[in-house]
Parts: sequence; structure tokens; C-alpha cells
Amino acid sequence: MTSATRADGAIPALATRLRAVLDPAQVIDDRQELRTYECDGLAQYKVIPALVALPHSADEVAAVVRACAEAGVPFVARGSGTGLSGGALPHADGVLIVTAQMRHIVEVAPADERAVVQPGVINLDVTRAASPHGYYYAPDPSSQQICSIGGNVAENSGGAHCLKYGFTTNHVTGLEIVTPAGDLVRLGGRAPDPPGYDLVGAFVGSEGTLGIATEVTVRLVRLPEAVHTLLAGFASTDEAGAAVSAIIGAGVVPAAIEMMDALAIEAAEAAVHCGYPDGAGAVLIVELDGSAAEVDAQFDDVERLCREAGAFEIRVAADDAERALFWKGRKSAFAAVGRISPDYIVQDGVIPRTALPEVLRSIADLSRRTGVRVANVFHAGDGNLHPLVLFDDAVEGQSERAEEVSGAILDLCIEHGGSITGEHGVGMDKVRHMPRMFSADDLDTMQLVRCAFDPAGLANPGKVFPTPRLCGEVPGRHRGAHPLQEAGIAEVF
Amino acid sequence: MTDDVLSSAFDDHRPPRLDLINDCVHCGFCLSTCPTYVLWGEEADSPRGRIYLMETGLAGEPMTDSMVQHFDRCLGCMACVTACPSGVRYDRLIEDTRAQVERRHPRTRAERLLRGAIFRLFPYPRRLRLLRGPLRAYQASGVRRLLGPLLARTPTLATLESLAPRLRRPERLPERVPAVGPRRAVVGMLTGCVQRAFFPDVNAATARVLAAEGCDVVLPRAQGCCGALSVHTGREAEAQGFARSLIDSFEDAGVDYLVVNAAGCGSSLKEYGDLLRDDPSYAERAAALAAKVRDVSEVLVELGPVAPRHPLPLSVAYHDACHLAHAQGVRAQPRQLLADIPGLSLREIASAEICCGSAGVWNVLNPEPARELGDRKARDVLATGADLLVTANPGCLMQVAAAVHRAGGVIGLAHTVQVLDASIRGLPAQSLLHS
Amino acid sequence: MAVLEDLRAACGDARPAGDDDVIAGVPARFVAAPGSADEAAAVVRAAAVHDLSTVVRGAATKLDWGSPPERLDLVLDTRRLTGVVEHAAGDLIVVVRAGTPLADLSTKLAAAGQQLALDAPLPGATVGGTVAVNTSGPRRMAYGTVRDLLIGVTIVRPDGVLARAGGKVVKNVAGYDLGKLVTGSYGTLGLITECAFRLHPVPEAGAVLRRPVDGPAGLRTVVSAVLGAQVVPAALELDVPAGGGLEFAMLLTGVPEGVRRRVATARALLGGEVAVSDAEPDWWSAYPWGAGDVGLKLTAALSRVPDLVAAGLAARDRHGVPVAMRGSVGTGVLYAGMPGATDPAAVAAVVADLRLVAREAGGHAVVLTAPSAVCDGLDLWGPVPGLALMRSVKFQFDPGRRFAPGRFVGGL
Repeated sequence: MTSATRADGAIPALATRLRAVLDPAQVIDDRQELRTYECDGLAQYKVIPALVALPHSADEVAAVVRACAEAGVPFVARGSGTGLSGGALPHADGVLIVTAQMRHIVEVAPADERAVVQPGVINLDVTRAASPHGYYYAPDPSSQQICSIGGNVAENSGGAHCLKYGFTTNHVTGLEIVTPAGDLVRLGGRAPDPPGYDLVGAFVGSEGTLGIATEVTVRLVRLPEAVHTLLAGFASTDEAGAAVSAIIGAGVVPAAIEMMDALAIEAAEAAVHCGYPDGAGAVLIVELDGSAAEVDAQFDDVERLCREAGAFEIRVAADDAERALFWKGRKSAFAAVGRISPDYIVQDGVIPRTALPEVLRSIADLSRRTGVRVANVFHAGDGNLHPLVLFDDAVEGQSERAEEVSGAILDLCIEHGGSITGEHGVGMDKVRHMPRMFSADDLDTMQLVRCAFDPAGLANPGKVFPTPRLCGEVPGRHRGAHPLQEAGIAEVF
Repeated sequence: MTDDVLSSAFDDHRPPRLDLINDCVHCGFCLSTCPTYVLWGEEADSPRGRIYLMETGLAGEPMTDSMVQHFDRCLGCMACVTACPSGVRYDRLIEDTRAQVERRHPRTRAERLLRGAIFRLFPYPRRLRLLRGPLRAYQASGVRRLLGPLLARTPTLATLESLAPRLRRPERLPERVPAVGPRRAVVGMLTGCVQRAFFPDVNAATARVLAAEGCDVVLPRAQGCCGALSVHTGREAEAQGFARSLIDSFEDAGVDYLVVNAAGCGSSLKEYGDLLRDDPSYAERAAALAAKVRDVSEVLVELGPVAPRHPLPLSVAYHDACHLAHAQGVRAQPRQLLADIPGLSLREIASAEICCGSAGVWNVLNPEPARELGDRKARDVLATGADLLVTANPGCLMQVAAAVHRAGGVIGLAHTVQVLDASIRGLPAQSLLHS
Repeated sequence: MAVLEDLRAACGDARPAGDDDVIAGVPARFVAAPGSADEAAAVVRAAAVHDLSTVVRGAATKLDWGSPPERLDLVLDTRRLTGVVEHAAGDLIVVVRAGTPLADLSTKLAAAGQQLALDAPLPGATVGGTVAVNTSGPRRMAYGTVRDLLIGVTIVRPDGVLARAGGKVVKNVAGYDLGKLVTGSYGTLGLITECAFRLHPVPEAGAVLRRPVDGPAGLRTVVSAVLGAQVVPAALELDVPAGGGLEFAMLLTGVPEGVRRRVATARALLGGEVAVSDAEPDWWSAYPWGAGDVGLKLTAALSRVPDLVAAGLAARDRHGVPVAMRGSVGTGVLYAGMPGATDPAAVAAVVADLRLVAREAGGHAVVLTAPSAVCDGLDLWGPVPGLALMRSVKFQFDPGRRFAPGRFVGGL
């Protein structure tokens, strides 16, 4: 959907309409203020929205979306604006609907193991509200102190602990959404297995292209009785990788296994002084949680396996404070890299865990060949890599080379049967890579779902899929000219 | 008042630095610790958004009313500096930005009058002291009740009114207080403005505690305002004037440390080197004095306690003043000093990193949001169930006291040093609870 | 016949339907059994050309579930779509063709000490059927269900196009999660040809604790105590035979030392007469009904499960129908059964009672299977939130309504 066919007065008229529906203070059209919304956590892409709306309730979200639908104006939803794939990148002729003011925790129901929250609620705040009752919200992205549940739903966010606990989609049992037509619909609820299609499952991870979540029912998990965390220093990522294989091979399912290489350790050290083992080529953070009986029994094995794989230093966290320190380095890694390099790209790719050593070697080769430094941080347990490709924008050509390296790493992931994104989503950033992972038929099939929810193509257009599917067309081969070609609206390249 | 369409927001005299701005990677970790983002959920009133506005200002955007409003709304609490994993020096950025705003942006008449009045009063301890009499009379009389409707309509006045502390008879401090027992250090003591005029017992307690821990305490009578309020509000020249005078008054005192018991002042004093870096006749002396500045809790831990402590069976909620915790990184020392008092149990306040809303004179300039933030803090403080709230800044004390009172709650209020003083002197816990 | 010719050209194994090729009482006209995904796609394309209404059949264990198809031309048999495509033990994933019986897959994985952690309530069921209906058993409490274990899927759309979603790695958010969409879709969105699952290690040790419970109140006490403790059960089940009595059972798995200690804790926690064994009870993971009976699935918010049990007991008394119940009190999913010969009006009354309570408890009561006399005029599904959107989805995938028409919710 383009603005070419729409009259210029659409936005001012919409602004007036929105100011009638919301409080005028909730509608922003001041250019300088609009600019503060022109990007999310991925600052490489910037687009100034035509308008920003800050609804306070589901009804207000529905009213805003309905107004957009009636005006034929596209909209993009944004929570805290910390996403790393440009999923909340605004549309220049559209409305940015910001849910940051919808941050009420509606209910914490430990007896049902559920909590009901508005989409602007911050991830960590769910855990803070649930912990006094002995429960917590398991998906823990590194940005959890600021990222919103609504954003987590859109991206199907993960975190370090998803090896054992799964991702957002495994922890959402119900949604209230506003469809792109502006209707409020309830899907699922507190009880499992609602009858019909799993629309909750289809919606989670759909990156804002199927509507806007206005209320989320999440699953709470019992706070484990025991948590044991160790930090192990290895001479190389090969050895650390071998330790990971050994641990998984022994039938242990750790709550988390994270790895950082030497360059990432350097950055983290500079930022938060986590005091990781000196001279380590790689560190592993291994965390086991569960009943004390199980964790005690397994932890000694884990320690032994690390040692056998060559760990030269192993620290076991004596208390929560020390555990927090182990994690501090890992959790700050992305932003911390800013201290050792003026600019960087955070990549997000997945490979089968067993391919880790080989892929890391390939990345190292790539780095040597191109002269572009790559710091590696990753969820070693599930093969989700976060290569941090470092460069200096002020030096000519470095930015382009960094992009090449970043893309080449994604190619490696696909070659090894992995994925182009494990957690950050496709958004704007990886749209062009989708055809490398999926065939045209695959993408077409996914877009059938999009057509079912958003035939007008107004919900976050331009994200996820490279070529929008014209809804209502019959898929498959066409004989002669496409009807849209005949109408002079579309061209075939 | 008017948008200057042609010229960009900042001029060449100390604009916010682009290299500092470029440290920001847009991760957003600062948002959840920013009081204005917590209140309003709007990007332009978050550190990330304000940095963005600064960047656009450097790139040519004009300094509009809208832009200035967002800068003005910043509390300067620096919780974002603590939270930032990339080490962005937002404190530097906002200070330079405010100075530019003060110089270059025309304010409304009402704003100018209010700011003028504030800065003709607060940095002058003698003028503040002159208010004591009328204030006591006002508090004693029934006038307060009559003023109710007026106060309800003028939030700024209501704030000032609510903040006014209950006054007691002031103690007069000598210019030198000798150490008790062997002398371990000679320290200068900042007596402050609001502290000196309205909380003189805090100054008295500070002097006593320092003396008890083996310090000769020097209190030059000529000392004036340290300029913190001016610096934090962008009144650069005014701040520099105060700084020079203060440097002069401590010049020949021959002190090892300059001890401060007000968080906002301490943080400002530690940055004197930067404030006067362009003044060749003061730059070195400013840096030298700054290097000697210690918060009272810092210096006491540095020296190590020698005076025996008597028990104080009290539960204490310790509130981190922003300019002590975020600006100076002093968190552990006050807690350690309190925890070392036998019988005293320390409780943490939820959402400790969020400012109470005082922020210098921010609460006078932004009364409604300050009230909201104060209410939140009061709620979190009262939720600890502690007997006593302890903090290290007179502004915080007044702000939280007012909010607690509004909430109908009851809790004792004291400065860290007053608790130490009571413990060293063997005073009963009750003495701290009558505030 | 042109149709049969085209079907044979597509996959070789195609024939006219026989007396056994009947689905929920509706006879088919043809049966085709493709041997590969490409053949399957070709069959479906041929079916599209001839506007054949199609129902997929695996091991036929659940053909009597859902409503009868409105029309039926072709039975798409998956018996030749078998075999493990890839088992990457080091990565704990398996890719398997949909016609593979779960039991065969289980054997293969067990050889490597791994499992697809899905209970199989109906023996013989295929992978595809399990996914299409989203069946699950006691261990859903520990491992989740198909929706949590399926990481990639290949389907043939009703228009014959082959499409993939997900992949072979557990962590993957590229594109929409079509796997979730087809899970539990009763074959109405197309044919599932291949599935990729995440695996778990087979636990070294396990133990089952059993204890009689004296009623819904007693159940609540026991379940609260267990959930509040830290024994981390792999399953918490309740059996309520039609004849009376409630039995509670808990499965603990893990490493031997861990299990030993947790059994001791659990035993003390449960109190009363606790029987500990390393074998599950006979009734474990089986539906509380037999062939030809009425079977219901009841869900509720966790805290309201005892209310569901109470409702079942009350309905039994009120309507004089022997209602048996069994299921996961640890996740809020119960099954209820009534004899097939029960008077349809009585069945309807019981369903209405249970549905009322289930709804109020935040869940649903769905009639999974019943004899045709009972099904007639009975709302099998109850209210379905989001039905309009589901219709839109169905229309996009199958505008001609040829795949399992009328079998699913809202007549989809």
C-alpha cells in the first residue's frame, strides 16, 4: 500500500480525528518530538512517522487503528523501542502507535500460574510482581529491564534461559488483540488448548503485522528452589564448545549455557568490570536450576565436564550477588561493545549446536580475511549466535565491509541448516535475507495468514516479507498479464 | 517564545559534545530508570530521547520551546548514567545543554520571575535565615489553613509551603572544632545554604561526628554557596562566581579533605575542575580543591571508625540521594556506617534508583510531576515499615517528608550523620524519631 | 475414470474406496497413499483440479473425532509417508515423516537415549495425526505439548503447493509460526508431510507416587501442597472412575539420587496412604472411554480444576450417567467419558453442565468423539473466541472448502 494514491490531506485529518478520540496530549505531530521516535534499538534505520499516538487502553488502541483503517493509513506499533531488527521502524506516511503508557499489571494469579498484563508492561516488572508469590516470568531477554511484553509477543523474544524454558510463545496462553480493521478480539485465555486454530501461536512472533496485542495472559513459572551458576574460563572457544557438547551429551538440560569469546570479554570488562578469568579465550556461564535434589546431583557432573574439557578456572557463584556479577558481563555485552569500537552491528543467527566449532572457525577466518573484528556472544546451548561485527563509520569503506561480514555470517547459518534469526526477528533488517531461507512458496503460504488478518496491508507494512502478497489474488501461475498489471498498478520486474 | 528557524540550537561555547552523544547506542536501558519516562512513557522525556534532541540540535534543528521543555523536564538525577552500559556521560551533556538554554533561549516573563526569585533566595544562607522567623510564625499560626484554597490553585507555592521544614532553635558552630582524642586529619566542612539555615542540627551533628572520629573540623565563617543549584540549572556564570568565592574561602584552611554533608553540593564540588577549566587563574586551584572533596560517609569509611558505637534499636530505610548514589557513586559507605551500628536493621526501598522528585529546585519549577514522584517514593518508603528514613540531602528530606505527610504516613526522618551522632553519643533511639 | 487416472499418475498407489474407507460414517470414493512429499503435492493438485473433498488418514485412531465431513471424495492415506529423515542426536532434534507411528519413532530415539516427549494416549497413532489433533498426555506438565515441541513443518496446501515453515533448530523466529497454526487444525488447512521436533534426553530414573483423594476439596489441598513445594513433578494426574473413588498420581523423573530425595519429600508432603512404584498405573495416559463411547476434553484455569471435578461428579449424580474423568490436574486438562449407549439427551445435559462450569473456570468443554446419534444436534465445540479470524484463515488456505469440510470448529 503506498501513499501515492492517497490525497495529501489524510494525515492532518487523521490527526484531528485522533485528537477527538484520545486526549490531545496523546497525539504527537511536533517534528522534533516525532524525530525521537524515528528508530528503535536498531539505529541504522530511521524513518520519521507522520504521527505518534500514545493510547492508554485497549479501546483507545482500537479507536486509533480503526481511524487508520478508515483513512487507509498504515500503522506501526512500538513498545519500549528497544528491538534490534527495526520492527518498530515507523512508516513515513503512517501512525506510530506507542503502547508505553499501557503499563498496568492487571492481575497476578499465582494459583493459576498466570499473570495478565497490558502490552507496555516491562518484562522484568512481571517477574518483580510475581516473585513475592514464589513465581516468575521465564523469558529473559538481555534488555528485560526495559523491553515490553507487547514487544516480546511481537518478536517471540527469547533470552539466555530459553534453552530450558522456551520463548515467549511457550509462555503466552491468551491475548486480546486489535485486528488491523480495528476490532477487539480475544484469543485463548488462562486455560490451555483453546478450541480452534492456535491463533495465539500464529500471532506471537508475527512482528506486528497481524494486529496489536492490547492484553497478554502469560504463564508464570515456579521460582526454582536451587540455582547453581558457574563461570568457567577456557583457552579457546573450541574447548568451551566441547564442554557444552559434553554437558548436553550427558543428558543435562541446563537452564542456560552462555559463551563469550575474548573480544566480547574485553568489552564487558571495560563496561562493567565483571572480572572474568584473566586471559580467557572463551568463558562459559552454565546455570542449573530446579529442585535442590536434582541440581545438587547434576552440578558436580557439570563442573567435572568443564574441567575435563580444559577449563583453567572455574568459579561457582556463592550467592545471588555473585551470580548477578557473572551475568552482568553477559547481559551488558551488546552495549558494552560500544566501549571498544565506535560502531558495531549486532547479528543474530542460529546454527545447530554441533556446528558451533566449525562456524566459529569460519567466522574467525572471515574476520582475518576482511580485517573486520567480530566479538562473539551466544546462547551456546541452542546455537543462537550473536556476532558483534565491529567497525568505525568514520573510516571509509568499513561500514560496507562490516555489512558484508554480517551478511556472510547469516549465509553460514543458512548453509548449516540454521536460521537467519533466533530472537531479534526479521523486522526491516532481515527482509532481504528471507528468500535465502524460505522459498517463494513458503513465504507465500505465510502471507496467507497475513491476508487473513490484514487484507488491506496496513499493519506494519514492509516488515518481514520482501514482496507483499496481494490479498485476494489466487496463488499459483497466471496466464497472461496479472490483473494488477492490466490495471496499470503493478509492474513485473 | 519564538522558534528561531534559521539558527541551530547550540552555539560554539561549550555545546553538548558530539563525541559523548555518539557513545549512545540507542539501547534504551536508561528509560526504565528515568523518572520522567516512568511518569509519562514518552521518548522525548527520556535520556535517550533528550540525547537525540541534542544531536538534532547540533545538526541544525532550532532550539524550540518544545525542545527546551524536554530539557527543562530532566531532573538531572543521573540514574541514567548509572544504568547506561555504554558509559554515556549524560551528566556532562545535560549540564552543557542547560547552560546553552539559559543563555540562548528566551523564557516567558513568569518563568523568569520565578527563577529569578529562587536564585535570589536559595544560594544565600543569610536570606534564608531571615525567613526563619516569619516561617515559624506562619507555622505556629492558623494562617496556613486560610491559605488552603490559594495553595490549591498555585502548585509552586503549595510545593514551597509543603517543603518548609519545621524549625527548631539553631546551634551556632565555632570556626574550628578540635578532634576528640588523637588527631587523624584536618577537614574543612561545607555548611551549605538550605542546610545551614534550616537544618543546622545536621551541621552540628556532622561536626561532632567528624571530631569524634579524630578530625579537626574547620568551618570558615566566610563560606557561601557552592553553586550547585546554579550549575544544575544551567546558570553557568553565576555558578562560576560562587565557585571562585568558595575556593577562596577554603584556600588557606590547610585541610586534607573538604567534607560535605549535602549530596547535591558534594557532587558539584567534585566537578569544580571542569566548571572553571577555562579560567586560568582558578583552573588548577579548582581541580586541587575538587580532589579533596569527600562526602561525610566517604571520609568516615576511608578513615575507618574509631569512636565506639552505642546501640540504636531501630529499623532504618536508607534512601539514596541521586547526587550521592548516581553522581558520586557513593552507595556502600552510608549503608556500611549504618549497618555497623549495633541493633540497627537496614531495609532497602523498592525502586531505589528512581528519584524522589526533589532534584534541586526541580520540584519548585515542576510541581505536579514532582508531587507524583514524591508520592511514589513515600509509598515505597512507608512500605518498608521502617521506623526511620535516612538520607543525605536536605532536598530529599523535605520532599519525602512532605509526601509522607500527604499520604498520612508517619516515619522518622534523619540525615545519615545524625544517626551516627546519636550512636556515638549514646542517645536513645527516640531522639531520632522526633523530627 | 479421469479422477483415478490422475490420482494414479500423481502417486502410484491410488484405488477406489473400499468398505473400510469410511470416515465418521461418511463413505469415501477414492483412496490415495503418496510415498513422498512431492507425490503428496501431486495428489492434492489432482484433487484440486477435480474438486475432490479430502480427509487425511494416518493410523485412523482419531477419525471418529470432530464432526463427520460434509462431503468426502478422497481419503489421503499417509501410511507410506514414513521414516526418520534426520536424527541429529547432538542437537537434540529429529525430522520425521508424518505417517510414521509415534511408537516407531520412540524406539529409534530411545536407542540414542532420547525421546520425543509426547505421551500417546491412543496406541498406533502417527506423528501427523498427533500434530493435527494436538493430542497429549500426562507429561505435558514437564515438556509441553506438540505446540512446544514442533520446531518445523512441511505441509501441502489445499491448492497442492508444498510449503515449509520453521526449521531444524529450536531457536528460530524467522517468519510466521505455521507449525502452531496447523497444530490441532484437524487437517482443515492441508496435509502435514514432515515434522521437525525438539527432543529431550530420556531421564535416568523415575518414580510414581499414588494416593487416594477423598473429593475435590482433598484434591485442591494435595495439588496446592505439591505445586507449592519444590519436587518439580513431571506429571500430576487424577483418575476418577465412573464407579467412584478418586486416585491421585504423581510422576517424578530425573537423576537417580535426585529422584530418591524428591520421592521422600513428596511422600512426606502427601501424607496418607502413598504407594510408590517405578511403574505407572494402568490408567495412565489412556482416555477414560473406549471405542464408540462419548469422549470430552475439559480445560480450566489451574486453580479451578477441583471445580471441574466437582462438576463431573455432580453431573453424574444429577443425570444418572456414569461419567468417568481422568487427566492432568497439574495443567488443567481433564478428559471425561460416558458410555456410547447413553441417551443423547442425557449426554447433552451433562455436556451443558460441564461446559457452563468450564467456561466460568476460564476454559472449555469440547466433545471430542461421540456416536452419531449423540453428535446430531449437539454443539461439539462450545463457544470459540476468535472464530471470525479462524474463518478468514481457513478461507485463505482452502477457499474451496475441500479439506475436511465441516469437521472442525464453527463448521470450518
